[in-house]
Amino acid sequence: MAILYLLLGTLFGFVLSRSGAGDYDMVQGMFLFERFQLYGIIGVAILVTAPGLRLLQRRGRSLLGRPLEFESKPRHRGNIAGGLLFGIGWSITGMCPGPILVNIGEGKLYALAALLGALLGAGAFGTLYSRLERVFALPPLAKGTGDG
Amino acid sequence: MHWAIAGAAIGLITLCLLFVANRRLGISTGFDDLCSFVLRRPYFRRRAVVSGRTWRLPFLAGLVLGGALSAALGGGWAPRWDAGMLDTVFALGEGAKLMWMFAGGLLIGFGTRLAGGCTSGHGIFGLSNAEGSGLATTLAFMAGGVLTTQLLYRGLAG
Repeated sequence: MAILYLLLGTLFGFVLSRSGAGDYDMVQGMFLFERFQLYGIIGVAILVTAPGLRLLQRRGRSLLGRPLEFESKPRHRGNIAGGLLFGIGWSITGMCPGPILVNIGEGKLYALAALLGALLGAGAFGTLYSRLERVFALPPLAKGTGDG
Repeated sequence: MHWAIAGAAIGLITLCLLFVANRRLGISTGFDDLCSFVLRRPYFRRRAVVSGRTWRLPFLAGLVLGGALSAALGGGWAPRWDAGMLDTVFALGEGAKLMWMFAGGLLIGFGTRLAGGCTSGHGIFGLSNAEGSGLATTLAFMAGGVLTTQLLYRGLAG
């Protein structure tokens, strides 16, 4: 199965690269409301995923016959606070998490600094979870804030 | 690549991941996966992290490979420092650019984990599944991005 994940990731990375999702100017253009391709990409991705998801849920089983098992992400105060912080970081770097990795692959050396920062940020969050859990009324650790 | 083709491809990859592998698309939990190799706190030993590593790590490796392939097929792979408007407007030196990207990365890592997802898990999968958390998070990160870019390029540099 690891090969399948590698292939799907490679395809995803190639599409993100070729569509400009990891391009600094394209991301700033989106936030300046001057370029609309990235809104289009996300919009079409949802238009394709949403009905497909309904069909898969009606079927109820994966290709291998297992019951489909995915959970909805929990609603909590961290959604807004974390989303705002992430949005600021997305603007600063011109990258969301997928494109950080895609840009490293493309050879953009500064993307390595963004990855290092993201790992330290995630590490700090996980280390401080019990304290942040109270401040943001987060779900218990076993559930987490939402995985993905 | 045309945005409609790219969007459709991303939708199909998301569905394929769910149908074939029974996995919910999400990239930012991969930061937890990578941290879990060196950090031992209970947060990094959650079932979602430990069981997700088997698919997410090869998927993340694929993202890097896909970027490399795209560069290699489109004029050749080479190390690069250019970052469009950031260079033309703010003309940061290499050290300052690394610090800038590192600082942004900190916000991305902390923010996505606090929100419980990023553009893929909340924006694409969450909105497709009509989740309230996906809508709240997506509106918040779009607002954060719009405010920051407007401030940088219409405020400071305008």
